[in-house]
Amino acid sequence: MTQPDTPLLSIRGLNKWFGAYHALRDVDLQVARGERIVVCGPSGSGKSTLIRCINRIEGFEEGSITLDGLGTAAKGRAATREVEEIRRQVGMVFQHFNLFPHMSVLENCILAPMRSLRESRATAEGRARELLARVRIADQADKYPGQLSGGQQQRVAIARALCMRPRLMLFDEPTSALDPEMVQEVLDTMVTLAEDGMTMICVTHEMGFARQVADRVVFMDQGQILEVAPPGEFFDHPRHDRSREFLGRILAH
Amino acid sequence: MTRFLAQTEAAARPAPDRRRGLRQILAEDFFYAPGATVWTLVLVVLLGLAAWTLFDWAVLNAVFGPTGTLDASQACRAEGAEGACWAVIGDKVRLILFGLYPFDLQWRPGLACLLMIALYALSVQKALWRPALGVIWALVLAAVLVLMRGGVAGLAPVGDDQWGGLPVTLILSTFGLGLAFPVAIALALARQQRRFPMLQAASVGLIEFARAVPLVVVLFMASVMMPLFLPESWQVSKLLRVLIAFTLFGAAYLAEVIRGGLQAIPSGQYEAASALSLTYAQTMRDVILPQALRIVIPGIVNVFIGFFKATAIVVVVGIFDLMTAAKRAVADPLWQGFGIEVYLFAGLIYFVFCFSLSRFSARLERDLARDRS
Repeated sequence: MTQPDTPLLSIRGLNKWFGAYHALRDVDLQVARGERIVVCGPSGSGKSTLIRCINRIEGFEEGSITLDGLGTAAKGRAATREVEEIRRQVGMVFQHFNLFPHMSVLENCILAPMRSLRESRATAEGRARELLARVRIADQADKYPGQLSGGQQQRVAIARALCMRPRLMLFDEPTSALDPEMVQEVLDTMVTLAEDGMTMICVTHEMGFARQVADRVVFMDQGQILEVAPPGEFFDHPRHDRSREFLGRILAH
Repeated sequence: MTRFLAQTEAAARPAPDRRRGLRQILAEDFFYAPGATVWTLVLVVLLGLAAWTLFDWAVLNAVFGPTGTLDASQACRAEGAEGACWAVIGDKVRLILFGLYPFDLQWRPGLACLLMIALYALSVQKALWRPALGVIWALVLAAVLVLMRGGVAGLAPVGDDQWGGLPVTLILSTFGLGLAFPVAIALALARQQRRFPMLQAASVGLIEFARAVPLVVVLFMASVMMPLFLPESWQVSKLLRVLIAFTLFGAAYLAEVIRGGLQAIPSGQYEAASALSLTYAQTMRDVILPQALRIVIPGIVNVFIGFFKATAIVVVVGIFDLMTAAKRAVADPLWQGFGIEVYLFAGLIYFVFCFSLSRFSARLERDLARDRS
């Protein structure tokens, strides 16, 4: 059921441990349709873990994460099916791209639509070429990932995720592994995506990007959400002590 | 610090010619110092002597003819015949190659051998590595069985106790490894996964058993002990039992090689596949295994070569393979004492197969290294 007034994504009372280490502590977050969230915070604060829990690449011990009502089953077949459905609807872009190196760019893009959405090769290929054109990389469709620059690979990774027609996109530090001169081309692609109305959650240190596109900035430290605010307020008037400390450190240089 | 500013643009120039002539190679690699000169000369003399001795024995003084078993045998034993007796090969070649298979029907094992060799030649073409190759394997192996066993399509039936020589060696390695390969993938995946602990334990148990027990012991168990314990109606031929033992051994060794490849795949590949909602089976088939198998091709070829040669061990349980056939050939009183020639011939056949595989592996490593660019 799609109800415009309920949030698309709802995280309630989320707790996760790595062994004895308490990695996420009582995390609550609602994300509305079309909303753009930037998650920031010092390294080890749980930002990546949080978004990896959303598509269940990481499991969690307590709390719930629902995507439009999906994700309530606890165990067994129903839960497995729900996870598959959530992953179909949530696209993810990784820090290290994680393209499949033995497949061409085009094959990378059509694999999941053909396997998971059971689309025909022609349908999948048509949309893949469209999306590759949208990330301005259509001429590289037959190349292998190893032949592309980091920035190009990351744009392919974005196109690959979009080929599943996701309702929500997760970005896990998408520009952190890039050479400086390639950061902008990836950010531009993400800005275009945001302008087209995609719901996005981005873990990133690119504060310029956060100011430009984010509706809300989420600041995390030690597994906890410490502050949530619109970017203007967050950057200019951070309320929490540790937000101020963090911003002082990253904006100092 | 003084300031530097480039005044000109450095244009790219072609690389210098790095090729060397024969004279240069000799001067730089063989005669570059007095000591090197001495060693080069000593080794040339030694190698020359060895080559000459071999040539003298194998060609100059060798007895090639005459045809007719008795004449040939006498020619080889004649006064002054000090060289190799190749006549024994001419006389025994059919026995060495095809064992006790009915003489008039030996075109059938011959054709079966050619089919299997053609199958190898196809399988080493990288461009043909697609699912259809599995179908071709199944078809060729079925054809080999039909040719060897007969009993259909007007072919006279021949029991596998009459098979022998090269086709048995090829069948043991081809069927053994062809069956072992899919089993090995299943074992490696079962050992790697964490979801079904019993399946994992069974896989570990089987692999560790096969690695800890000598193949010879298992062969004896398969050929001698198994018939004692199994009911009459369960009895299968000795060749089949030995083949099963080979398959399990090959699968265990291959599984460990393949597991090494699986471990080399970064976790990001699994995560990307999961994020795209691929199932476990899809992830393995489309993403993980194609990469993992590619990484361990040298290891896989190594196991293949090892097992091809290890088939010679079945001589101890009386399976009539190439090695047994060679032994049988020199057991003939007429040809006693000419074992060297016969074993050299059998060794040459093993060498041709194993060396080809080894060359193929080297070529493949080069190709794949280039692909990864």
